[in-house]
Amino acid sequence: MDTVYILITGFLSVVLINNLVLTKFLGICPYLGVSGRIDMAFGMGLAVTFVMTLSGTLTWLIDHLVLMPLGLEVTRYVCFILVIASAVQLVEMYLRKFFPSLYDSFGIFLPLITTNCAILGLCLFLNLWGTDSLLEAVVLSAGGGIGFTIAICIMAGIRENLQMVDVPEPLQGAPITLITAGILSLAFMGFAGII
Amino acid sequence: MILASIVQLLSSAWLAGLVMLGLGFVFAVILLIAHEKLKVEVDPKIEQIHAALPNLDCGACGFAGCGGYAKGVMENPELIGRCSPGGADVSAQIAEILNLQVSESGPAKRPIVHCRAHTADKTYHAEYQGIPSCTAANALANAQACKFGCLGFGDCVSACKFDALHIVDGLATIDYAKCTGCTACSKACPRDLIEMVPFGQENMMTVACSSICTGKVTRAMCQVGCIGCGLCAKKSDAFTVQDNLARMNYANYAPSESNELALDKCPTCAIVYRGKTAPPPREPKTKPAAASKV
Repeated sequence: MDTVYILITGFLSVVLINNLVLTKFLGICPYLGVSGRIDMAFGMGLAVTFVMTLSGTLTWLIDHLVLMPLGLEVTRYVCFILVIASAVQLVEMYLRKFFPSLYDSFGIFLPLITTNCAILGLCLFLNLWGTDSLLEAVVLSAGGGIGFTIAICIMAGIRENLQMVDVPEPLQGAPITLITAGILSLAFMGFAGII
Repeated sequence: MILASIVQLLSSAWLAGLVMLGLGFVFAVILLIAHEKLKVEVDPKIEQIHAALPNLDCGACGFAGCGGYAKGVMENPELIGRCSPGGADVSAQIAEILNLQVSESGPAKRPIVHCRAHTADKTYHAEYQGIPSCTAANALANAQACKFGCLGFGDCVSACKFDALHIVDGLATIDYAKCTGCTACSKACPRDLIEMVPFGQENMMTVACSSICTGKVTRAMCQVGCIGCGLCAKKSDAFTVQDNLARMNYANYAPSESNELALDKCPTCAIVYRGKTAPPPREPKTKPAAASKV
């Protein structure tokens, strides 16, 4: 019962309270780059969720089974990047084979998941938060991805509506997007301290 | 001293290096297997066609971009010749890649604007202060007196990717030296003023009006509109008058004396030359009195 409780609170925490995009400010590049249309944002969110779950789990395993017993924690960054890059390559091949239309619409943003700092950030946070079971690592990484998907979809919804609004000329384009991101982030900070 | 520190570094870092190499090797093997299992066969012809296209992504062919067109033409060779910026050269190249014979498709199509009224020639019932877009202005009945003429807010200008269209004194004017015939402007015009016609000559004679109102009404709205008098049709076979508007057979147009005569006789000078080196249009000698009344 205790484990379930910890898993649920941990999941909610990483989705809402410690949302990687809105409170840790990681993964801003796709958050602003692919949030123009809601269907593409959702696809991007799913791809990131998949890569994040896969790489979060793998890095946790590598961290606990290889690096920590050998005392090689210093090489975490390099090893984690290796894992993430491979996972992204895998996703890219998979999408190209089975979802060519999604693959076309992502374009350059799919390989850019490699350098999405939200993923590396999460892999490092798993260690920082003291995750000590594999199940916990899986749930937290999936939660991180879902949190990213929620954030990018909310942003895409707002931006779709913003297109029909009379935005003052100096604020059109990037400025209004950044202001929106800031206000959205403020709103999510309201969750802080709930759990 | 330096040697000793290098030896020390190596002796403490060999494990890290080994782990890294090991991990790299494992992932390389996984990716190699995935690469073999998830291979996508791409026809090299598609890439060749894509390379032959002008890569402007203008959308004249009906596809979102050149990549889509390359794939589409591969699947359905009947689509050869849809690339208007590339023209006959590109069609020939694609046909060569696909081992096909391309039939002569006639002269390239270029847009002509069926209006010649500048701001001074037009009549307004009221001042339009709404959204500066033709589509918005067209939704109002009285944005300008003529319900057919160019509104001059430049929806076509923003649609043009080649900087070949400009609003000059309230009239969309095409720069035929830059135009590639991509049809974007003709799709953008809410009044369907821009028609794609086969440009058989350097300069084409065109009927620059699309008002189908009776002559009296047209004259009250515009100094240079076609009043449907039929003088041109009497002088030359190339013209016909239908619904109070002179129509021209652009496909068979060739410069001739009778055509010149029709142009000279047009009382409102609604027949003008359009093209790369088109002479300036004639101006009506006596301004019709009715046009000055609002």
